Amino acid sequence: MAGISTHVLDTDRGRPAAGVKIELSVREGETWRMVKTMITNADGRTDGPVVAAADARVGEYQLEFHTDAYFRSLPDAGAGEPFVDNAVVRFAIFDVKQHYHVPLLCTPGSCTTYRGS
Amino acid sequence: MDRHSLTRRSLVGAGFGGAVLAGATTDALAQAGPPQTAAPPNPAPPKPGTLTTAPSSQAGLSPRLTMHAIDNFHGTPGAGMVCDLSIREGDTYRLIKTVTTSPTGRPTEPLLVDEAFKAGRYELLMHFDAYFRALDVKLPTPNFLGLVPVRFVIRDVGQRHHLPILFSPWGYSYYRGS
Repeated sequence: MAGISTHVLDTDRGRPAAGVKIELSVREGETWRMVKTMITNADGRTDGPVVAAADARVGEYQLEFHTDAYFRSLPDAGAGEPFVDNAVVRFAIFDVKQHYHVPLLCTPGSCTTYRGS
Repeated sequence: MDRHSLTRRSLVGAGFGGAVLAGATTDALAQAGPPQTAAPPNPAPPKPGTLTTAPSSQAGLSPRLTMHAIDNFHGTPGAGMVCDLSIREGDTYRLIKTVTTSPTGRPTEPLLVDEAFKAGRYELLMHFDAYFRALDVKLPTPNFLGLVPVRFVIRDVGQRHHLPILFSPWGYSYYRGS
């Protein structure tokens, strides 16, 4: 299956990050056009594909993860303020026949992303 | 070059090669560059990403923002990485400066220090695509990662902030370091 998917993991607590707002944007010239907003489910994934195979185009995409609000909303949020601002991941689809899984591993002080599978 | 000579050169370069520095502070060591005369003749010219220095500690330095780019694809410092530092103003980012990392993977100067070190929301836009293309890494077009935004917040300017970025053509990680 081609398209884009994501998965948000709270590596501070060692569990999926549920309820994280994610905004998908596509690059159009010099600007980013917001396409849709999603919320991660209990497994840290979106209920549907971020971008379905039929909608995938060669181009640049952006996922903004609202990790700041997520960490602040947790009942066990620590006293420290997050160092990482809302994580923004920009990446390109270079071959629409391939799938692009783009996970985010996050803590208040760090984040990691990569082309996953 | 064998591993032992690299290690020895690194130690000499960082200032651990003689007792002359016994009274020097860690700060001074962190600023010291490798003395050219200490290195044996090197047949290969240094190129971006060649590992020649040992780690340095920034403990005890005044509050500032520093960064370190580490190339996890080649296993070297991320030398020659172009980075645009901006601060958020309303809904946009205003460019403060553009820096290029030195052979250590660090810019030669702090990103922000003294009166320039202000609280705020920052973005460091890193030119991944240009970096790997300059090293002749074969990548798709457009590459998976091109211009990568690293966003972080400085809240307390009384604290030193270090921002390491570990990267490859297919992923990256950043965190509040030390």
